[in-house]
Order: sequence, then C-alpha cells, then structure tokens
Amino acid sequence: MLFIGFGGGKVLLQQLILNGIIAGSIYALIAIGFSVIYRTVKFFNLAHGIVYTAGAYFAYTLTISLHLNIILSFFLSIIFAALLGIAIDRCFYYPLRKKSASNMIFLLASFGVFIFLQNLIQLIYGAQILTIRTGPVKEGHHLCGAVITDIQILILVVSSLLLVILWLFIQKSKLGKAMRAVSDDPIAANVVGINPERIIMTSFVIGSALAGAAGILISYETNIEPTMGFSAILKGIIASIIGGIGSIPGAVLGAFFLGLAENLGIWKISAGWKDCIAFAILIIFLLIRPWGFLGTKTEKEKI
Amino acid sequence: MEYILHILVIACIYIILTLSLNLIVGYTGLPALGHAAFSCIGAYTSSLLALNAGLSPWIGLFTGACVAAISGIVIGYPAVRLKGDYLALATFGLGVIVYSIAKNWVSLTRGPMGLPGIPGFSVAGFQLSGIWSYLLLVLVFVAITIFIINRIVNSPFGRILRSIREDEIASESLGKDTTRYKLLVFIIGAFFAGIAGSLYSHYITFIDPSSFTLIESITILLMVIFGGMGRISGSIVGAIILVVFPELLRFLGMPSSIAAPMRQMIYGLLLIFLMIKRPQGIMGVYRFK
Repeated sequence: MLFIGFGGGKVLLQQLILNGIIAGSIYALIAIGFSVIYRTVKFFNLAHGIVYTAGAYFAYTLTISLHLNIILSFFLSIIFAALLGIAIDRCFYYPLRKKSASNMIFLLASFGVFIFLQNLIQLIYGAQILTIRTGPVKEGHHLCGAVITDIQILILVVSSLLLVILWLFIQKSKLGKAMRAVSDDPIAANVVGINPERIIMTSFVIGSALAGAAGILISYETNIEPTMGFSAILKGIIASIIGGIGSIPGAVLGAFFLGLAENLGIWKISAGWKDCIAFAILIIFLLIRPWGFLGTKTEKEKI
Repeated sequence: MEYILHILVIACIYIILTLSLNLIVGYTGLPALGHAAFSCIGAYTSSLLALNAGLSPWIGLFTGACVAAISGIVIGYPAVRLKGDYLALATFGLGVIVYSIAKNWVSLTRGPMGLPGIPGFSVAGFQLSGIWSYLLLVLVFVAITIFIINRIVNSPFGRILRSIREDEIASESLGKDTTRYKLLVFIIGAFFAGIAGSLYSHYITFIDPSSFTLIESITILLMVIFGGMGRISGSIVGAIILVVFPELLRFLGMPSSIAAPMRQMIYGLLLIFLMIKRPQGIMGVYRFK
C-alpha cells in the first residue's frame, strides 16, 4: 500500500491536487445530477448512487460481454442509465408523490431502492471487482511534477463538456426554463401551464444520465464493484450541501472543494480516512454554514 | 437446536437495539440513521478492556455502555440542532466516521482484521459456556431494557418526547428546552445500544468493523419501522420477525453467496413497500413528518 501512492508522505503535493481535481470532476457530475433532481422533487434521492453503479455495469456488459464499440457502448449506457432513472421514479416515487409523502419517507424509500438494486447487481455479477480496461496499462503524461493518464484527461474533458451542455440547457432552452420555474415555485408553474410530472421526468432523465456518465467514466479508470455507488452518492450529496443545496454552480464548487479537501487531507495519513474527512466537512458546514457556499440564508429555516 | 437458540440470542440483541432506536426515532421523531455506531463503540470498548486490560466483561459492558452514552453526546450535539433530512444525513455521516475509525485506527482496533478471542461472561466465578445460559443472560437484559424504556416513555419525560415529536414549536412555547431533551434521548439510546454491542461481542467472541456498517443501522431502523414507530411491542415483534425470517432462506437450500444479497433485497423491498403502504409500521402510531 505504501509504495503505490496511498501512504503518508510519499505522494507529491501536485499529484494530490491533480487527483483532487479528477475526483472533483466525477463528484461534480454526480452532484449536479443529484441537484437537478433535488430541485424538482425536493428530497435526497439516494437511489441516484445506484444509477451511477448501474452506468458502470451497463458499460461493462456492453463493452466486455457484448463486445460493442467503446463509443457506442458509452452512449447506450447513458441512455440505459436515464431509462433506469425514469423507471425508479415511475415505480417507486410516483405512488409516494400521489400520497404527498414527507421528505423523510422519500429518503427512506430511495434508500430501499438503493439496497434492492445494489444487491440485484451483486446477485447478477457477483460481489467481486470487475474491470473494463483491456490491454496493458500505459504510462501517463508528466504535468508539473504529477502524472496524468489518457483516461484521466478523457474524464476531465468529458465531464467539463457535459457541465457546459447542461448549463446551456438549463439557462437557454424552454424546458430548462420550465425546470427552473418548477424548482422556484411548483404551484405557480402549474398555474401557467407547466406540467410538473413532465418536468420531474425530464429532471430524472438528465440527472440519471449524468450519474450514469460518471459511473461509465470511472469504470474506464478503476475497477468496478456493486458497492461503489454508496460512497459516490454520499459524496454527491455532501458536495451539493456544501455548495448550497439546489444550486448548480454551487454543486460544482462543492464537488471540487470536496475532491481537493479529501485528497489533500490524506497527504500525511492513510487513504482510508477519505470518507471520514468528507463527513467531517459536511458536519462542520451543517453547524456553521448550513446553506453552503452559494445557497441563500432563507434555506436555513428548513435545516 | 443449538442453531435455533443462536438465532434467539441474536434476536434478543436486536430487540435491545430496536427498542433503543425506537426511543429516538419512534417516540421523539428524530430520524437517526447511525445507530450501529453506538453499538460499535460499546462493543469495541468492552472487548478492548477485556483483551488488553483483562477486565471482567461485566465491567466492560458497563464501561462500554457509558462510553457509548458519552459518544451519544458527541454525536447528538450536532445532530439535534438539525431537522429532518439533514439530521438523517448528519447521523449517517457520524456513523460513517465511527466505522472509519474502527477500520483505520489499526493500532488500537486491528482494523479489518478484527478482534478475535473476546472472553465470555462469567457469573459468580462460573464461565457462561452453554448457549442456554447466554440466552438467559440476554433475556435478562432484554427484560431490563423493556422495563426501563417502558418507564421512560410513560413518564412525564416521555410525554415531553412525544410532544417534541408531534409539534416541537408548541413544546418550546411551553418552556421546554427541546434541544436538551433531544440530546438526553440520544444519550439514553446510545447507552442501550452500547449494552447490545457489548453483549454481541462477548457472545460471538469476535468483532470487526463490518458488523457495524450503515446497512446495519438501516436494518435496525427497518425493524423499528416495520414493527411500529412509537410502540415497544412493535419493536419486539419487528426485531424477531426480521431476524428470523431471512434465516428461512437458508432452509430453502440457498448458498450464502445468494442468500446474503437476497436477504438485503428483501429488506430493500420491504422498506420501499412500508414507505408506500404503511409508513408507521404494523402497529405504529407515528409516521415521519
């Protein structure tokens, strides 16, 4: 463990910063997907994490088991992830919305969905780790004293591209405007003729596609296992909260802050403490600045 | 027979955990998702005292429960200042932190290797070795827990807890310091969870961090919700059914590589089903607001 870049003191600061940025870009995809969904349904959708896992497993099935082209399988997996998101919403959350259940009930139901699907994946693929990587591992490029691999460059490029597309969609398109309207005031949006169910479905499509994309990208970089989604969704939620819940620029900011803090935090200690650092940051934020970096102070009433 | 008795002992330990969580979740309405953290602290304190200091498990049990109660203050302090989802998330996080400490503080807890060879209880110089005697021991603890929790919820203190659950602002307006009461509930709940953790560690004689994961916390919460929020009899029924029922999967001849995820899938589906159809549980009186 000590010699492959995990242990204390042996890793260069530049490498940790780079790792933090890459982790941050994955967290950003998850956190934004989470925020897009949160803005319309207003609960913590833990099942978002299983869409991330499923994205990775879709990519694995299509690339390794069905020998599809890697680019084709990338897009197909994103579509499947989006469909999974809609299916989860229609099967489990729609009946709860009909009963206007409380946030906590939604949260626990989404946790139930998470546990169910995670174990379904484990039943199908087994609990062991799988890998998509074929061929030998190439040496990375050197950049200011740190090493970056081709796949990591791909992760950075694709995730920034997705962020820009999403930002344009929400700011410029009519559907994006409708989504913002529902997020600000669902009743008024309904009055002016926006169908909330349609907007919720759109947000699940976009959110789940982003989570799926994050899962697929990470599956090119590391091994995948059925339990990978849990830590991911928790990081996504933490990033959203410290950025300001529901704010999309906030989620990006929170994600990069979290990625960097986690990786710099393990400079002198073992990598096993990452989760601990992430939650310590969350709890400090909840106590001192619960509305996050970019949230408004009025949100505090709900916290 | 031995196997059935073993399941009963485990069920009894879960009854203590479920009752103590019901006090926090069902009676006071605080959605705490990190209950396994308290039993983790109780189990590790008790086991480490027995293994490293050679103390009797009885002292370990009591110290473990007290340390868990103190951790209840530490965990409860930030948690009770938050509401609803955020409280759930914060307790979740504190559960992760305790788990990480158990896993990563290798010099103290031996990390993922776990602590083997934890000594069992002895009464008046006789080592409790048979499973019957252990069942008797945990039954005594279950009886004590039921008695004390029953007294708590039926006392004026219990009425304040329910008033916090129903309408916190109204109870504040009557001059009750609700933050203090919520913190007290966390301490009491943590104390009993610490006892359960210590009983578990001295019974199984081996603990490792994987016994105290978040899934474990959710399982305990599922038992509370399934049996009934805010009802003692509900917790007993919920714990027994959810411990015994998955064991039936074994009798269907499933290998454990299938039975383990199957059991979790059933728990997941049950949680979804309860939330959609009956969020207060079989005989509960409260649903999450």
